[in-house]
Amino acid sequence: MRSIKLAVLLLIATCVATRAQTPAALPAGYVGSETCKICHEDIYNSFLKSPHGAVETSAKRGFEGRACEACHGPAQMHTESPSAATIRNPAKLVAAAADKICLTCHLNQPTHVGRLESSHAKDQVACTSCHKVHANGPDGLVNRKPAAINEQCASCHTNVWAEFQRPNHHKLPEGAMSCVDCHNPHGSIRPAMMQTFAANEPGCLNCHGDKRGPFTFEHGPVRFEGCVACHEPHGSANPRMLARPEVRLLCLECHANLPTVNATGTIGVVPPAFHDLRSPRFQNCTVCHQKIHGSYVDRNLLR
Amino acid sequence: MRQLTLIWVIVAPLIAQTPQPAAAPAETASATAAEAPSPVPSAESWLTGSIDVGYRWRTDVGGSFNTYRSIVNLGSGPKLLGADFTLADPKHRAFDQIRVRANGWGDEPYQTVHVDAKKSKLYDFSADYRDIAYFDFLPSYADPLLSRGIVLNEQSFDTRRRLGSFHLDLLPGNWFIPYFAYDRDSGSGTGATTVVTDTNEFPVPNTLRDQTNLFRGGVRFELRRFHATIEQGGTTFKDDQSVFNNSVDLGNVATPVFGQRTALTDMLASYGVRGTSVYSKGLFTASATPWLDVYGQFLYSQPDTSVNYQQTATGNLLLQSQLLFYTSQQYLVSAAAKLPHTSGSLGAEIRPIRRLRIVQSWLTDRLHNAGSAASTQMLTNSGVGISLNIAALLASSLATNYSQEEIDIFYEATSKLTLRGGYRYVWGEANDVVLPPEGLMSSDQAKLRRNVGIGGVTYRPNQKITLRTDAEVAFSGGAYFRTSLYDYQKVHAQARYQALISLSLAADFTLLDNNNPVPGVNYDYRSQQESLSLFWSPLGGKFGDFQGSYTRSTLHSEIGYLVPQTLTPQTSLYRDNAHTATALFNVKLPTVEGIAPKLSAGGSFFISSGSRATSYYQPLATLWLPINKKMSLFADWRYYGYGEAFYLYEGFRTNLVTAGLRFTR
Repeated sequence: MRSIKLAVLLLIATCVATRAQTPAALPAGYVGSETCKICHEDIYNSFLKSPHGAVETSAKRGFEGRACEACHGPAQMHTESPSAATIRNPAKLVAAAADKICLTCHLNQPTHVGRLESSHAKDQVACTSCHKVHANGPDGLVNRKPAAINEQCASCHTNVWAEFQRPNHHKLPEGAMSCVDCHNPHGSIRPAMMQTFAANEPGCLNCHGDKRGPFTFEHGPVRFEGCVACHEPHGSANPRMLARPEVRLLCLECHANLPTVNATGTIGVVPPAFHDLRSPRFQNCTVCHQKIHGSYVDRNLLR
Repeated sequence: MRQLTLIWVIVAPLIAQTPQPAAAPAETASATAAEAPSPVPSAESWLTGSIDVGYRWRTDVGGSFNTYRSIVNLGSGPKLLGADFTLADPKHRAFDQIRVRANGWGDEPYQTVHVDAKKSKLYDFSADYRDIAYFDFLPSYADPLLSRGIVLNEQSFDTRRRLGSFHLDLLPGNWFIPYFAYDRDSGSGTGATTVVTDTNEFPVPNTLRDQTNLFRGGVRFELRRFHATIEQGGTTFKDDQSVFNNSVDLGNVATPVFGQRTALTDMLASYGVRGTSVYSKGLFTASATPWLDVYGQFLYSQPDTSVNYQQTATGNLLLQSQLLFYTSQQYLVSAAAKLPHTSGSLGAEIRPIRRLRIVQSWLTDRLHNAGSAASTQMLTNSGVGISLNIAALLASSLATNYSQEEIDIFYEATSKLTLRGGYRYVWGEANDVVLPPEGLMSSDQAKLRRNVGIGGVTYRPNQKITLRTDAEVAFSGGAYFRTSLYDYQKVHAQARYQALISLSLAADFTLLDNNNPVPGVNYDYRSQQESLSLFWSPLGGKFGDFQGSYTRSTLHSEIGYLVPQTLTPQTSLYRDNAHTATALFNVKLPTVEGIAPKLSAGGSFFISSGSRATSYYQPLATLWLPINKKMSLFADWRYYGYGEAFYLYEGFRTNLVTAGLRFTR
């Protein structure tokens, strides 16, 4: 019995030692990363220190020892005839083809669950537009500092960045926030790729928790169309980033339906007749309707 | 003193270390570390990074100081302008790397710190903390007290919001990743608000205090062919606003009502709001076959609140419905609300042949808020010995069901040209009901029906040029609000051209033309933006570089509304024509006695005409003087100039000068 145990142990030890010493056989056409390193040593070293370096050493993705070829494809032809034409360069592919390579590993991660709703994916913006692949450094494969993130987004969204130069704006140019605080560049279930709070609530509530409610008496637009129903979130010349300079017009543009006959099929009833717009008392509706985002206690949002 | 201590605590470790060779990062335009280059950890040093400390002087603010505080709010004093450093443990004991970023500490309006710590295959931790000042006291264009010489924004506040976020991933890189997170959002401060009675509003001070805690945890299963994430979370919330006044307040209405002036002499109101919520999240992706990817998510949350509101007031006040003057009021409300909210999406990407992709997605978002409020009010007139009790019970309901279905087809006509065509159908219902049906809102409902055609082209003739455009044309059969999207055309076009290695150009164009022709609405909205930007770095940036952008935007909105007093139709017209430019020159100046100074100059301006003609200038210049590899001197000048064509009293101008040191290791 003891000799059987010993024999089994020896067999296991032999198998383990053999596996440890023998390099894994490469599939046909592959040459392994060590071969790539001979000519591309700088890139290889940088890559190995990056988060992607794990592809080279981990068996999880199936490219152990041949991480370069995970994206660039089998390189045997390239080693025999080194030229740009004999190797796949994802940077030269159409966005969908380049993304397909990234998504081979990254599709099955929570980051990409909103991809089909993402306007980046629909507009053929490749992953490599924002992410570096070989990079090394504390920022990993993508910018992490708010100012660097904003600069990157602004390089395409120039006109959005211009809105932040208006006097009333969220504090992105000051470096206190970044675009990804509000938007999920990979896509989201909410409009405009907005971030979410507590599963499915608008990302605005991450910072503006006092506006969350639920309120006993809600103001419909906040729930139905979100903050952008009244605010210009990137920036505005109007106080409080409102869409209109004078509050009464902002309100009356919706509150213009007759209470008796709603011919327009929209929500919003004209205020009662005592609202004399000639008086400053009634020009700024929020002087009285101060709980404009919703009230816990008053149906007319007065307290 | 606290600021100096804070600076010392952070600077000391950097100064105390034995000098080690390290590359000095190139200084950039701003004195903030947020714009500093990323420190690269090296094998030689366990600590790398930089820290910027300095002192800022602000000249007197010309014009409206309150507007300055509402928009800029930077002050004088010693500052920790930024810090960005990395701690690396070569032996990988408790951590591989800790990365710290901090920005704007020292009584600044936006103070942030972010910490990332990780150990390979064991944990990945991040913490973020922000302390943001919210100040708003813009002189009101409609100030009811102005005729009495009082300038007061009756809805103003001076608060700080503190946001903390902590996230821990365990076993990162594994197929099974548990994670935990905690977020906290709190605000506190003071402000001004109004106490609204039937015939008068009384401006009073208030205090604001709220707090939200979010706890969550979950697991991610990441396998080669599919992934699933299950998360469970919950929140606690409290809001303890209060309103108080103990002096005679005549309110906005100075004229007597029925021969008497109304006044508030004493007032105390407090909100006790408590809330909780639970939520669940399920996410799923799968590479079902080589030609099919599937995506799905299910999200459910159910926040609720309960409220105890108390208000006591004394003075001479009027209950208009009963023509009753009263001298004291006691008002109690007990209310509750619950908001179940369900969202989900399901989609697939199908690749039947090599050049063709079909993306089909369905999305729904459904919420239903139910609230109730029971109130009792006791009004007393001690002079005539009258007492009146009023009790009310109200119920509210707000619900919306939103759905959309979309199909997009992408066809790669050539290796350089991708075409996209698609169709989206959006539908939903919304209703807002308060019972019994009295007051401003009673019962409102609307339907949403929208058909959207989608098209797009991406053309990339070579690696230097990218042209991208997409367009939507929509026709609606109903919308929730008069200003909602209805019949619209939306166009977005973008071009990028790498003219030279040192020169890149980009152009951007967006257009939204929205019309609602329904009689009684007649909404006409058009906004258009055109941008040009360039980056020029001649000779590989040997002497410096330049980046700049210019944006022209126009907005025209015209919609009919009814004047409340007369119900006569009027038109609300809003126009905004704006020019915005940003520019930044970075120049490497000639070396003098071993010192290679650098100058950055530029800034931005915004000039608009139309309904609220505004100008806002923010020029800046920064001079860097590297003293040695570890220390640089910098001086930074900024100017803020804000002007309003119609609201002249809101303008301001000021200069800010900052001098400081950057320590680098």
